[in-house]
Amino acid sequence: MKKSEWSDKQLEELLRQMPKIQDDRNPRDIYENLPVRNKKPKQWLVPGLATVAALLIFFILIPKLMVGPQYSEDHAGQEKSSVERDIQKADENSTIALKKEDASPKARTFSGADKTQTSKTAIYDEEVGDGKVLTFWIPDPQIQILVPVSTIINDSNEKTWLELFNENMVNLKEQEWGLSEFYPLSASLKLDEKNNAILVDVPSNHQYGQGSATETNFINVLKKDISSNSDIKKIRFSTNGEPGIELGNYGHQDEVRIKQQKNHAYFFYYSEGNDIPFLVPSIENYEDIKTAVEEMKKDQPTLGLKSSLLPALPINEVSIKEKTLIVSMEDNTSLQDDQSTINAYESLLLTAKEFGLEKVFITNPPIKNLGPFDLSKKNKVPLAPNQRTLQ
Amino acid sequence: MDSVFDELYQKYHHDVFQFLFYMVRNKEQAEDLVQEVYIRVFKSYRRFEGKSSEKTWLFSIARNVAIDFFRKQKGWKGRLLEKFDWSTDQLKDGYPIPEEIAVQREEIRWVYNCLEYCTLDQRAVIILRYIQDLSISETAQALGWTESKVKTTQHRSLKVLKKHMELSYEKEGLTSEKVRVER
Repeated sequence: MKKSEWSDKQLEELLRQMPKIQDDRNPRDIYENLPVRNKKPKQWLVPGLATVAALLIFFILIPKLMVGPQYSEDHAGQEKSSVERDIQKADENSTIALKKEDASPKARTFSGADKTQTSKTAIYDEEVGDGKVLTFWIPDPQIQILVPVSTIINDSNEKTWLELFNENMVNLKEQEWGLSEFYPLSASLKLDEKNNAILVDVPSNHQYGQGSATETNFINVLKKDISSNSDIKKIRFSTNGEPGIELGNYGHQDEVRIKQQKNHAYFFYYSEGNDIPFLVPSIENYEDIKTAVEEMKKDQPTLGLKSSLLPALPINEVSIKEKTLIVSMEDNTSLQDDQSTINAYESLLLTAKEFGLEKVFITNPPIKNLGPFDLSKKNKVPLAPNQRTLQ
Repeated sequence: MDSVFDELYQKYHHDVFQFLFYMVRNKEQAEDLVQEVYIRVFKSYRRFEGKSSEKTWLFSIARNVAIDFFRKQKGWKGRLLEKFDWSTDQLKDGYPIPEEIAVQREEIRWVYNCLEYCTLDQRAVIILRYIQDLSISETAQALGWTESKVKTTQHRSLKVLKKHMELSYEKEGLTSEKVRVER
């Protein structure tokens, strides 16, 4: 029945005969594949979240971008204030300390105990006797400053300072003193007589190269330790016997020269849990002792250092005469014979020592006796600061 | 399983599927599209007012789904190119003929092939009127048209089919005898 033309009826008939096409799928499958409730929310959810996140980032970044430099200043201010807060805390500690000190001299006068042993903090000529003075430099917990701690070693065998240094660094009680745990060094120190140097040998897995703060600190501690205990001017490094040390920022170092560091001013550093401050030299060097004394009247909040002269020891003027520091006090001031004044006076003695002076004389002392010191006479500068006993 | 889905499936699934199949002339596509129909139905089921019968409502949704499918398939690029490209009047789809059609008589196969040359509207009318056996008014409801528009579209689509049927007949060239049949 093939035709070249079809009538509408025939066509309609043909169309009605078109086969029924069945969907062979299981209705359950069809239902389960319907993403009715999941599909739509997701479509706006993801871009929506992205938009919210982008807006958040935008709003966080905008203030920084708009006022970049100002913001960083603010930030620095905050840091400053937090340091100041710390210092205030330390202050509170110290006032407590002072109260205790106020009470203790009376007790001592009753018991007739000798004041000198408890009040001085530095080591002086007459105390040393046959012993040897060793100074260890220990970083504070923030690793900002190095605190010198000195001790007298009574040594009957004629050991060198380096032997004693190596022997005694295990006995340092950093934690008790509120300083950071640094000793014993994981390095061996030997005297290299040929080169007049100290040979520092670190193990191959040493930790001192990790981060610029650590390595700067390590080198500074070595320099200070060596220069305050000897006249040696050179440090030679070796790693596990091989010459040189690998430090991240310094790179490969064979040796370091020690410059004699002088002309520092001494400040108070109150470590945590300690009433009596450590006397700590500033990082800065000063041109002359007058500037140094002026600086000592102020705090150094960035380093956590407190003024060592005020309020206990109000100095008017200083001058130098034949290796002696001549000090005139402010008029109409009274001095308290207490620990904080002793600390202030000792910081002045130590600063004088930094500038190569040998004695300190106060022209107009309001009191005659300050703890163990007779202020009417010239007083010698100490040998080393912050005496502590080991063991 | 959802009772609404169950009911819809029982009553209309095969009709809707068949409609979509003849619209897109591809089984897999029809399966995907019927899925889309269900999604749209569930979204607007509460808004269904019962003005028309459920069946015509479902067909109107299915038709929209099919139109969207063709639009999406072409994309804006395809539509733009088509505007400037007169060499091909119609985009040919290369889908193979499904088995159900392949086993049929020659004429049925021709009709199936010629459906390709109808516009979407024409195809929809043909499917609804003849394959689904809907009345003129039901078709008008499903498409949202007036009855007269259904009639004219139906007339035109038959004409297109007839023309292409003749062409296929000539191409096949099985018999030389031409029989004119009165309309």
